[in-house]
Amino acid sequence: MPELSRATSAAKSFARRQTSLVTPTVLFAILFILAAIRGAGLLTANGVDGALIGAAPVLLATLAITTVAIAGPAGVDLSIGPAMTLINIEIVIELPKAGITGPIAVFACAIGLGIALQVLMGLIIAFLRVSTVVVSLALYLILDGFNTVLLPEPGGSAPGWLANWGSETRLMSPVLYTLIGSFVLWTLISRTTLFRNIRLMGADARTAYASGVRLIPTRIGAHVITGVFVGLASIMYTGLLGSADPTAGTSYTLSAVTALILGGASLAGGRAKGLGAVLGAMDIWLISYVLGTFNFGLNASYWVEVATGGVLVVALLVGAFLANEHLGHGWAGRMLRGNRSH
Amino acid sequence: MEILAKVRGLLSEQGRAALAGVVLFVLVIIGVVTVNGFWSLVNLRATLLIASFLGIATIGQCLCALVGGLDLSIAFVVGAANIGLLRLVNGGIPSGFAIVIILLVAAAVGGVSGAISSHQRGQTLVVTLGVGTAVLGLVQILVSSASVSGGTVEGTVPGWLQGLTSLNSPIFVAPCVVVWLVLAALTIVFLRRTWVGRGLYAMGGNQRAAERALVPTRTLWVVVFSLSAVTAAAAGMILLGYTGGGYSGVGDPYLFTTIAAVLIGGTSLVGGRGGYGLTVLGVLILTVLQTILSGFSLSAAAQEAILGLLILPLVALYVRSPHPRMQI
Repeated sequence: MPELSRATSAAKSFARRQTSLVTPTVLFAILFILAAIRGAGLLTANGVDGALIGAAPVLLATLAITTVAIAGPAGVDLSIGPAMTLINIEIVIELPKAGITGPIAVFACAIGLGIALQVLMGLIIAFLRVSTVVVSLALYLILDGFNTVLLPEPGGSAPGWLANWGSETRLMSPVLYTLIGSFVLWTLISRTTLFRNIRLMGADARTAYASGVRLIPTRIGAHVITGVFVGLASIMYTGLLGSADPTAGTSYTLSAVTALILGGASLAGGRAKGLGAVLGAMDIWLISYVLGTFNFGLNASYWVEVATGGVLVVALLVGAFLANEHLGHGWAGRMLRGNRSH
Repeated sequence: MEILAKVRGLLSEQGRAALAGVVLFVLVIIGVVTVNGFWSLVNLRATLLIASFLGIATIGQCLCALVGGLDLSIAFVVGAANIGLLRLVNGGIPSGFAIVIILLVAAAVGGVSGAISSHQRGQTLVVTLGVGTAVLGLVQILVSSASVSGGTVEGTVPGWLQGLTSLNSPIFVAPCVVVWLVLAALTIVFLRRTWVGRGLYAMGGNQRAAERALVPTRTLWVVVFSLSAVTAAAAGMILLGYTGGGYSGVGDPYLFTTIAAVLIGGTSLVGGRGGYGLTVLGVLILTVLQTILSGFSLSAAAQEAILGLLILPLVALYVRSPHPRMQI
């Protein structure tokens, strides 16, 4: 039956290409079952909407830094948390001063600010030729300090239409529409030539250069894409919080980077998937949700830290193990082959 | 850009040390001119004391940078050691024994970070961030059976530990500064004169060549991260004497200032160039700068932003990678 064997081999090769998604998918299944058992209210319209707005900021933040991670080298954007915080402060405090409170204007300003911050970072990376992680580290310090200078104490309240997002009870809410819109946007963007060039540049900048890819415009393009999603993530974050806070958002750096790694992204560049990022972010949110159902009292936030850090390390180990097996160097593969290769 | 490259070419090890020395001198002059009371004994002694905390915590970061890695767990280990020591001492364990326990645990934690990242060097930052977060969270859970609120742990700090950071000591400076200088001398001799120290430079310079020269690169990588956690824990315990109470966030500033001190001194983050002597200059420059900025009554947040701005031109000098067209 040649058709069947062809189908099997096609399925196998598909499965092999998706190895990076194994860890986040398995973890998602386990966490989802745990969450459904422990938190009875999750699978109601109310619960699902609470889940959507709760998970949306980290989800979009992870999707945002995925493009920069693909563009490499060492493409971890550590500045994502303070950047979201800055846009949060702008939406709640600065924009209303200029009379900007309408949905369309706020979306435009948030996304524009996200793009501006990212393009600045992209220009520094491209012209100083320093890795993303070092530049974003400097930007983290600058923005984190600037945020506290701008707004020393938490306060203010988000524009009315946005403040309602945190207490939404309908399933078909603006939160859901914005999320769906973001996913459609991502799907469209990831099919463009620009995105293919970003992948090539991240996988091997020399090959990309030799193939005629213009490196600086491509890098700036990657940062523009990231900037759009940073803006969207900040709007979601502001909707969830309902006010402005100079420090609370900085923790999104750790959750987004963890979700990115969990989703199978390689920090060497060139390899990262939007679907992986979404799964990783859902895992991160589910971890804190499941932990929240236990009565840890004052220790709750510490347990979330332990779990996030632990999952990050384990995901790296599993990823390394799978990559090793994929290349046929692993011990499992050797055992199956009867240890002939050594 | 060509001028930048030429400037960089001129910066040999001695050149970098001279440059850092000049920067330090200029900063001190600026401090004397602009800040009232800068050139007073009280202020100089206080500045040295603050520098010694950062200096001890930065020993590990410097070693990591020399082999081409970065340790983001230092801040978390500092906090964990800080509250851990207070809890152990107040639990009735003799302080000498408690310190040994903390240093051993720290060595193990650093060893774990090193062992995991030794297979995937590109992900060192993320590994250390994850391990650090998990460890600090775990220590906070373990400690919280005592009295904790918002990361603060209450308890009595042993008197001799407070004496270590006291400015009213019979010698000119606080004893802790002497500890730092001894550790600094040991580190410099270790890096320059021992086989292991030279091995670290070899690894940072060229991984494959070091392996061919039979340098046990995997083992040394683990040892370096282990040492980094040990020096971070030492800094955290000394800080307990300074602040007089446990606080899990006490290490937060060290997340990036350790990296900044290494960079400012002129040790390359890609490995193989620099040394702890340069880093001592970097620590002094950073501390004097912070004293001046505080003298201008800038808030901690504004200082953080200025520090971030300072890092960019430095990395432009030291860690630029060549254009892809030069790599084909």
